[in-house]
Amino acid sequence: MGDHLFEVDGVHVSRLEDLRLITGAGTYAADWNLPGQLHAHFVRSDRAHAKIVSIDTTAALKYPGVAGIYTGEDAVRAGYVRGVTFLNFKGKNDMEGRIPERPAMAHGRVRFVGEPVALVVADSALAAQDASELIRIDYRDLPVVIDPEAAVRPGTAQLHESVPENTPFEYEAGDKAATEAAFAKAAHVTKLKMESTRVVPNPLEPRACLIAHDPKNESYTVHVCIQGMNMMKRQLSAYTKVPEDKLNVIARDVGGGFGQRSTAYPEYCAVMIAAKATGRPVKWVSSRTEGFLSDTHGRGNIIEGELALDKDGRFLAMRLNWLADMGAYLSPAGPVSHIRNPTTCLTGVYKIPALYGYWRLAVTNTAPIAAYRGAGRPDIAYAIERLVSNAAAELGIDAAELRSRNFIQPEDFPYKTPTGTTYDNADLPGVLAKALELADWKGYTQRLSATEKTGKLRGIGISTVIENTGAGMYPKDEVELEVGKDGVVTLYTVAKSQGQGHETTFAMMAAKVLEIPAERIKVVQNFNDRALIGNHTGGSRSMVGAGTVCHIAAEKLVQHGKSLAAEALGIEPSQVSYGAGEFRGPESGMKITLAELAQKREVKIKGEGTFGTTYPNGCHIAEVEIDPETGVTDIARYMTVDDCGVVVNHAIVEGQMHGAVAQGAGQVFGEHAIYDKESGQLMTATFSDYFMPRAGMLPDIVMAEHATASRINPLGIKGMGESGCTASLGALVNAVIDAVRPLGIHHLDMPLTPAKLWTEISAKRGTARA
Amino acid sequence: MAKVEIVVNGRKEAREVEDRTLLVNFIRDTLGLTGTHVGCDTSQCGCCTVHMNGRAVKSCTVLAVQANGADVMTIEGLARDGELHPVQRAFTECHGLQCGFCTPGMIMATVGFLKDNPNPTEDEICKGLEGNLCRCTGYINIVKAVKRGAELLQK
Ligand code: FES
Ligand code: FES
Repeated sequence: MGDHLFEVDGVHVSRLEDLRLITGAGTYAADWNLPGQLHAHFVRSDRAHAKIVSIDTTAALKYPGVAGIYTGEDAVRAGYVRGVTFLNFKGKNDMEGRIPERPAMAHGRVRFVGEPVALVVADSALAAQDASELIRIDYRDLPVVIDPEAAVRPGTAQLHESVPENTPFEYEAGDKAATEAAFAKAAHVTKLKMESTRVVPNPLEPRACLIAHDPKNESYTVHVCIQGMNMMKRQLSAYTKVPEDKLNVIARDVGGGFGQRSTAYPEYCAVMIAAKATGRPVKWVSSRTEGFLSDTHGRGNIIEGELALDKDGRFLAMRLNWLADMGAYLSPAGPVSHIRNPTTCLTGVYKIPALYGYWRLAVTNTAPIAAYRGAGRPDIAYAIERLVSNAAAELGIDAAELRSRNFIQPEDFPYKTPTGTTYDNADLPGVLAKALELADWKGYTQRLSATEKTGKLRGIGISTVIENTGAGMYPKDEVELEVGKDGVVTLYTVAKSQGQGHETTFAMMAAKVLEIPAERIKVVQNFNDRALIGNHTGGSRSMVGAGTVCHIAAEKLVQHGKSLAAEALGIEPSQVSYGAGEFRGPESGMKITLAELAQKREVKIKGEGTFGTTYPNGCHIAEVEIDPETGVTDIARYMTVDDCGVVVNHAIVEGQMHGAVAQGAGQVFGEHAIYDKESGQLMTATFSDYFMPRAGMLPDIVMAEHATASRINPLGIKGMGESGCTASLGALVNAVIDAVRPLGIHHLDMPLTPAKLWTEISAKRGTARA
Repeated sequence: MAKVEIVVNGRKEAREVEDRTLLVNFIRDTLGLTGTHVGCDTSQCGCCTVHMNGRAVKSCTVLAVQANGADVMTIEGLARDGELHPVQRAFTECHGLQCGFCTPGMIMATVGFLKDNPNPTEDEICKGLEGNLCRCTGYINIVKAVKRGAELLQK
């Protein structure tokens, strides 16, 4: 694939959504306006943990232009006290999740800096902001709990009465006894304590909503950034008890998601209160700093891992002790992301006879944690891949060789893992072989000595991963196709692109079957006049689910069209053939186009499909150079070989891979949400304090595909939007540790900032000299 | 309140604004040109980049009154007579955008940058884009798009 998106007969074709996005005609959440709208500003807690003694809004209410002020009391009165948390499975010893209440605005107590406390609505955004400064809130400070390890220690101050020991849930997976037995007879055990650092997703579009209430039928129109309308409706409805069919959710363009948009945030519910009370549409646009404070964060896992090997370097068992920081409240997807996804891929790409993992969730005085690109998959892959590389180094076995010795073999697929997962298909030795060649693994020593001559350190890192993608929360995915009188086919789906390019790829899926140009298919991802069952875009599921249903629906449309055409042409359906937008009878001239058929009668069908989980897999190899004088790391080379099944659009897959690897590299080298342990203030709440990847951080990635068709998806497709992130953490950290291992450093936690590396390297070198 | 007269995309706009109104708010809220985006509050992201008197500026960092009398071009004014600007074409050809939120700012910054440096190296491109953030693309295709834009402009 060259630089062009896709070429048909040498002619370049753009992504179908691009034209409006490059001309400034996109419509993001903050771009909507309604006549008579008010503007909202939230007063947020500046304390991490405190009792609210009083809130005085008198002066603020008198400020010119102010139309209303709402607080936690209004939220409680409305009954908006509990969002949905997908924790519908039992924990250790049949434990039920302890899900604390979270009023849409804090009531009685604040539990993290940035928690909404009051909402001011006024004629202008500036007036609302000015007035909010006149609100006086008296707090009585409570002990602040930031560190999740401290949080679950007995005797630590508790955040919620209903959550003893700040532990909302414990869970275990695998066979504890068998694992212990295997460890007892191991020839070698490698151990690491690893942190998958808390990061901020930061899609570039700040959150925003514009909400209008219609008193006639008690309905709400909610313009908001989403990853899919069904998910947003379901969650908003759960929070507010407003029935789903009374919520008209509207979104057009969404400026990135990465898991952060899948939550129905309390702010949206608070704005609903204001819209109903004032009788006017209310618009709220988050600032970036508010986003840092109150958007859901990602990762935040502390993992103690142990890997047991026999004398030949075969894996015998792995044991994990996993502590997942959930922040102050349980987000909808936080628990499931950091428990279920890691459990599903607990064995990684390896045959490990005995596995055991223990999970504990912790609540802390920090922003809630939810899914972030990969949602637990990068974390488990990182833990395993660090352990494997560490074991290889300790045993003096080549890191690729140790992996290859323990791979699940091609003939083992479909492979049932010890934790009950079934991996559909992979050729891991094939993936590895291709990656080693692409990376010139054998030639590394030459590159190493070249680097050493410059006084720099060089390291190579590898990670081979697999992850679960495609499964959803709804029982099936539906897609509706409707042919217009002009022959343009409208494709309705409840998946929602936040940059993935559904308007192009979904259109391609249907276009291929219908044999018409993709431009003749208009993909609509947001509508309130029809109900379709289906999942949102997240969990790398959309091409596996809704995208595949586009194909199925198009086939159904052809079949259905044949019977309609037969009627119109006065022949039997079996006599009708279809091609390139035209139904033809046996005799020449006997034909009717899609458009002509639609002019005669409604041509509309619904396709559906239910597919299980697909398992993309791959190998990433990174080489880094570290300047010991500055601690700065340069990613010298980055290679990927991925098996994401059958690929629909190579350019889009490459783009997803680029973005995902960049987010992984961001986490590895700099991104970190840092809370001050004493005050609970977020120290990294702007783009000047929080590291964001910039141009030049990644070299051009050398990519290859090594596809095995999915056995779950009828078209052989596997999900891939997150897999780049999943593989990149391990590859990059392994490369850095490989570079510093000769100095006696065998593990460092992310982020591997210049300051951290310089300090560690200097300390070791100092010791060596002394 | 202050009176301002600003030429935006070739049209003279005379309005009264609060003194503290930022140029980006003038563009988005007063004029309704929502192609210029706001991605931060610390002048870091570059989503708000427009041209003022032919130079790329971050419109969140300029007061509307500072732009009084100026000639401003936003993303909406870049394509001429239905013909995309070469840099716009380059971004779509190279798949240099995903969600598109950073894109107007990226394109305006690129057009400005290529005026100063019509033939940039990859390093120069990365330096030139230091003030623009993108969360989706990993910048790889954006760097390609800038190169391609430079090529197309020279044709
Ligand atoms: S809005 Fe971020 S730099 Fe202007
Ligand atoms: S394309 Fe989404 S932020 Fe750049």
